[in-house]
Amino acid sequence: MTDGDLDAADPRTLPGFFDALADGELLGGVCADCGQVLLPPRPACYGCGSRAVDVEPRSREGQVFSYTEVHTPPPAFEADAPYTVAVVELADGGRLLGRVAADYADVAIGASVELTVHEPTAAEREVALDYETDWPVHIFEPR
Amino acid sequence: MPKPVIASVGASALGRTDLPGRDLFSVALAEAFDELPDPADLVEAVYVGNQSESYEHQIMYGTLLAEWAGLRHVPAERVEGCAAAGALALRHAVKDVRNGEHEAVLACGVEKMTAAGTSGATDALSAAFDRAIEQRSGITAPSQYALLAKRYLHETNATEHDLAEIAVKNHANAARNPRAQFPKEIDVATVLESDPIAPPLKLYDCAPVGDGAAAILVTTAELADDLDRPQVRVAGSGASANNIAVAERDMTDIAGARIAAETAYEEAGIDATDVDFAEVHDAFTVCEALLAEAAGFAPAGTGYQSYQSPAERADGWTDVQLSPSGGLKARGHPIGATGLLQALEAYEQLTGAAGDRAVEGAETALLLNEGGVADAVTVGHVLTTAEAP
Ligand SMILES: [Zn+2]
Repeated sequence: MTDGDLDAADPRTLPGFFDALADGELLGGVCADCGQVLLPPRPACYGCGSRAVDVEPRSREGQVFSYTEVHTPPPAFEADAPYTVAVVELADGGRLLGRVAADYADVAIGASVELTVHEPTAAEREVALDYETDWPVHIFEPR
Repeated sequence: MPKPVIASVGASALGRTDLPGRDLFSVALAEAFDELPDPADLVEAVYVGNQSESYEHQIMYGTLLAEWAGLRHVPAERVEGCAAAGALALRHAVKDVRNGEHEAVLACGVEKMTAAGTSGATDALSAAFDRAIEQRSGITAPSQYALLAKRYLHETNATEHDLAEIAVKNHANAARNPRAQFPKEIDVATVLESDPIAPPLKLYDCAPVGDGAAAILVTTAELADDLDRPQVRVAGSGASANNIAVAERDMTDIAGARIAAETAYEEAGIDATDVDFAEVHDAFTVCEALLAEAAGFAPAGTGYQSYQSPAERADGWTDVQLSPSGGLKARGHPIGATGLLQALEAYEQLTGAAGDRAVEGAETALLLNEGGVADAVTVGHVLTTAEAP
């Protein structure tokens, strides 16, 4: 165990990950022992248990692996519904869930998308925890 | 090692009730102890499955329910694992008895879901998902399972019609279960024409919101004999946690459920073909298909045939019957109590108390209870009246 010096600048923590994402950089963890991609990065690999996790910039392009449309949103997202959500397989490995900026009818499994980020809206800030207030929100745009 | 058995069971009414959580528990406890000495004369420890404090603004459910049972100065704690909390409580009780620490442990579960309305329940359940990525994307329980369903329909020959048939089958079972929240038959058209919730899932693909409590008394076999109680042996118990984010898992091979079931089979000295019926975690219709495969009942890609008779199903299926209680879908799904309601059904089936929904000749059951999305955590139990191998 060698992670005693983890701090909020480290991309294996959420503040570190979201700071980079705010600058447009999607960081992923890659296990040095088994190659497992970890999104977001974290101190240990769930594939093999190794703590040798490298952090590197990842492609923001990917393909829809599965998707749906939310008709019964949590209270914080009521104004947005219905909206499309997908699991996206990224071009150089790993999968990430996120909103898709397209109607459900215009999405398909295998469709190409690209991850973009925006600053949280006033509504998103309102439901954010104190430490999340400035974290960017990611959304997949069709390509 | 002492052999843990279930010696008694009880439950409250399920659905929309006018009782708060602790009172639902009192009803369940009264049924479980109807033919027993008072809890204070028997129970040595209490575990309470409970999903969320956001319904009643109440934590400390271990302390509260122990007190309401007339117990004080016993170890008591709330167990949390979203919808798997009930089976986790059962597992703790089973382990305490098996390792000789206690002779009688109360495993109970309670949820007062209707206290917060539908949007309150939606919000409380979304807390089960990864906060940083999933919750901030506006995901919900139905939409998480819709992602699994969309993928399952893409990879297999299953159709939305098949998923509807699973709901129809579970409602038909519930119609013969006096404990069920929805004891009524429905048809396929009702499911297919119900409101879209998260395509391909519609309202009738989803288990309902509802209140409920269940109480299960786990004892040594010797104590159950002394108490002159019908007993069902807990022959195996397995549990497995997987990634919290559904995106990082295999979305159609539910590995955590497979491991939980296999661990329970191995402890019991059986395999999937020995299971006569199973209560699985059909929070959404697609779950029954996925769990039939994970439990080893069905070859990959054929679990959706769970509603068919054994003769109609694909080669390689066992002749298991799924969710004779009506499942989460129609029996009801008061989150923290659900895993214990599964055990209650198995107890009634295996002690000849299941009335006209009895699975003929059944002596061994598998229970699979999940929390979070699919196998974020899974607990499996094998219950049996067969002699130990
Ligand atoms: Zn690894």
